[in-house]
Amino acid sequence: MTSVLLQPEHEFETQDIFVNMGPQHPSTHGVFRMVLAVDGEVVRDVLPYIGYLHRGAEKLCETMDYRQGIGFMDRTEYLAAFNAELSYVMAVEKLAGIEVPERAQWIRMILCELNRLSSHFMFLGAFGVDVGVLGTSFTYAFREREVIFDLFEEICGDRMMYSYFRVGGLAWEVTDNFVARVHQVLASARQGIEDLDGLLTANEIFQARTKGIGHISAADAIDWGMSGPSLRATGVSLDIRRDEPYLFYPEVKFDVITGTNGDVYDRYICRLQEMYQSIRIIEQCLQRLQPGPIVPERMSRLLRTPPGEVYLRTEAPRGEYGVYMVSNGGNRPWRCKVRSACLSNLQALRDMTVGHYVSDAVLVLGSIDIVLSEVDR
Amino acid sequence: MTSEGASTDLSSTIWPQVDKALSGISVEPEMGVLDLIVRIPRDEVIRGLRALKRDADLDFDYLRCLTAVDWEERGIDVVYHLYSTKKRHNLTVKTNLPNQDLTVDTATTVWRGANWLERETAEMFGVRFNGHPDPRTLLMPEDMDDTFPLRKDHPLQDIKILQGEGIAFPEEQD
Amino acid sequence: MTAEFLGIEMPVLLEAFIKVNIVVLAMTVVVMALIYLERKIIGRFQMRLGPTRTGPFGLLQSIADALKLVGKEDLRPTGADPWVFELSIYFIFVPVFVGFVVVPFAIGWEIRALELGLLYLLATSSVSGLGFAMAGWASDNRYAMLGGLRAVAQGVAYEIPLVVTLLAVAMLSGSLNLREIMLDQGTVPNIVWQPLGFIMFYIAMLAELNRAPFDIAVGESETAGGPHIEFSGIRWSMFQLAEYAHLWIMSIVGSAIFLGGSAWPLGEDLGTPFQLLLMGIKSSALIFLAMWTRASLPRLRIDQLMGFAWKVLMPLAFIQVLVNGFVIVYDLPLLLLTVQGLIGIVVLNWAIQRAVARPAGRPGIAAWAASEATS
Repeated sequence: MTSVLLQPEHEFETQDIFVNMGPQHPSTHGVFRMVLAVDGEVVRDVLPYIGYLHRGAEKLCETMDYRQGIGFMDRTEYLAAFNAELSYVMAVEKLAGIEVPERAQWIRMILCELNRLSSHFMFLGAFGVDVGVLGTSFTYAFREREVIFDLFEEICGDRMMYSYFRVGGLAWEVTDNFVARVHQVLASARQGIEDLDGLLTANEIFQARTKGIGHISAADAIDWGMSGPSLRATGVSLDIRRDEPYLFYPEVKFDVITGTNGDVYDRYICRLQEMYQSIRIIEQCLQRLQPGPIVPERMSRLLRTPPGEVYLRTEAPRGEYGVYMVSNGGNRPWRCKVRSACLSNLQALRDMTVGHYVSDAVLVLGSIDIVLSEVDR
Repeated sequence: MTSEGASTDLSSTIWPQVDKALSGISVEPEMGVLDLIVRIPRDEVIRGLRALKRDADLDFDYLRCLTAVDWEERGIDVVYHLYSTKKRHNLTVKTNLPNQDLTVDTATTVWRGANWLERETAEMFGVRFNGHPDPRTLLMPEDMDDTFPLRKDHPLQDIKILQGEGIAFPEEQD
Repeated sequence: MTAEFLGIEMPVLLEAFIKVNIVVLAMTVVVMALIYLERKIIGRFQMRLGPTRTGPFGLLQSIADALKLVGKEDLRPTGADPWVFELSIYFIFVPVFVGFVVVPFAIGWEIRALELGLLYLLATSSVSGLGFAMAGWASDNRYAMLGGLRAVAQGVAYEIPLVVTLLAVAMLSGSLNLREIMLDQGTVPNIVWQPLGFIMFYIAMLAELNRAPFDIAVGESETAGGPHIEFSGIRWSMFQLAEYAHLWIMSIVGSAIFLGGSAWPLGEDLGTPFQLLLMGIKSSALIFLAMWTRASLPRLRIDQLMGFAWKVLMPLAFIQVLVNGFVIVYDLPLLLLTVQGLIGIVVLNWAIQRAVARPAGRPGIAAWAASEATS
């Protein structure tokens, strides 16, 4: 007779436990949920769930005039709304064949790079918290982000949802002291980057926590469709600002920062270094900024586009932000698809996380710098 | 949407290489605003995409975007935006699915990154991707597999359909 | 059995009762003050003000918090194990509180100067690890369980370096009685002979207290509060009380053992108020250091934390005991210990740098490959 203890239902066995992280968790950066299968402290499998923030921006765009869609783009990517608006208005301009005045383009460039700075500040602050700094990095980063947002507020009256770019140019002229204010913001931003650099980068615990974690190879990253700093950290030099130039990026000097290992630390360093490059770009833009018109002289009151389609991609802080716009000849898009950088980056989460400790799963997620509103749209 | 006279315009683009790589597959080229667009019949589209990826001159190793466009009575177009990270050129591949049979093979066998994009396209348009490794919904609730919001015939304002019965506010129920 | 307290002869039990009550009251006030100070100090580190609204300079914030916590509903998850859940906080709180018996606030100002005071303190305070395990297990919550198991693993690991470094000091002083160890340092504090010991004690103390950078058990960004996650209201405030009371005890003990406590400098000559001032300054410095660490350092991972305890702190602590033994037995000059301690600090730093430089792999993949190969 076999022992009752040996019967399958009574047998002792080690068992993975499932940890449901999110939608309400301090480290999921929004309403993101992932289920971890945990073997002790080690992650065996990850299953991400998204869609909690799906608002149907694409469907809404189809029912609205081209100009009304700009507001939805702000809300898809709220940490870098200027970059999102840029893709949208440029797609419409390409379809309608509208030339944008030079001054408007320079101002667009300045604002987009400033927005990249503010977005990366947000990343640095939140990443510090993920690594376990009690919140010091967060307040350091938010101090600088506030300075940038104050400038945005002076220009467009809103701190996050700007709706400032228009098809053909800008909504209105920037404030008179714009150049002086941007210089002021850059000085404080540079100080802020140095502060955060000093707080985090050289710290032994920070390095021990981030180096070699969440590694992904260049080939895998490309296969998953990753983009932005997360891809460049693997050593792939791919930057839409340089490779498929838009605005006046060919006329300014900047380096494309690449990493070598494709781990969490490299992603962090890439973003940190990219901020210095953004400052460099903005300084050059300020030198080239000349007075002039900010909207084309002849703009029709009703904006119609000829039938056609365009896939317009720009380099947003998190990677390639694309707008695929199909026109049927009317005054509203027939189809407006937003290609989200975070969605593609997030697909690689499983590859990067499996085999690491639970604590590192949080780090890997933080290092992709996801914005859930962009993932879900 | 037409391709007459295209052969003269397209010689400066990557069309000659694409034509060579896709020999044996019926392809219709067309110049878009930014990128070259090719139309491939849906039975051959995955074979074509794989050929485009494997071709040494083209080397389309990066799937930028995958989505669909609803053309109402003309069926649904599935659109692939390809990019080569080494050669730095773009290509748009389109394939048309008739309304009676919205199925196409999955592109996840070519690029793993197509996974979530296909899941999103499937739930939004009702396109079935044969052989998809993970055919769950992505953004929509798990049980909402009979509503396709991005189709043109989907009502935008009549949200009662989405809420189901009995979920409306009490004063609206009668 | 009678004892003298404030010049009055009274039964031992009555005397103990009065003293314990005084300590309990003082502890509550000090813990509230510590929570207020931590919020203020970390606020300053983070370029914000901390509490300002409740009372002058926000001084009443802790009292307001305490009132709010007492008024909150006492929740218990449906799936929780009721007995273990409710007992767990006592297992965390009581051992800490019991430790106050031997804490020397000034010379002669302790409830009892036990002969084995140091041993008693360490033995009691290590029980609180059990409380964390109980809280984590009984909460019926995966985060709580992860956090509870982490707390136990960490507590067990850091108990040993802590005990061994304190043992090394006890060897020098020739006593386990905290009062005698303190009095022994009337001329030179022990930190001069045991610089490495002090640093190791400080690290192990932070780990024992579950404070940053060793707060992996409660790690906000990972386990979202760890064992505390399902506790609310008064029970949660007991956790806070225990944590800060423990911090207070450890800082007083640390300054009594390493920094000369209220004996150095000139503590015995200048009377009790000066001794209290000395102890206050030294323990405040240690507490401030802990808050500073918390505001600026990231958190370690569980394997790094354990590796640091077993591979770095433990050998160094045992070497310290060995060297102390040689010096005492062969009557070598004590200056040798200082030199050894400074060399030890260099070695500690080197070991940390080396650990940082080592590339990290994926622990899971290798472990599963090994387990699948054997099975």
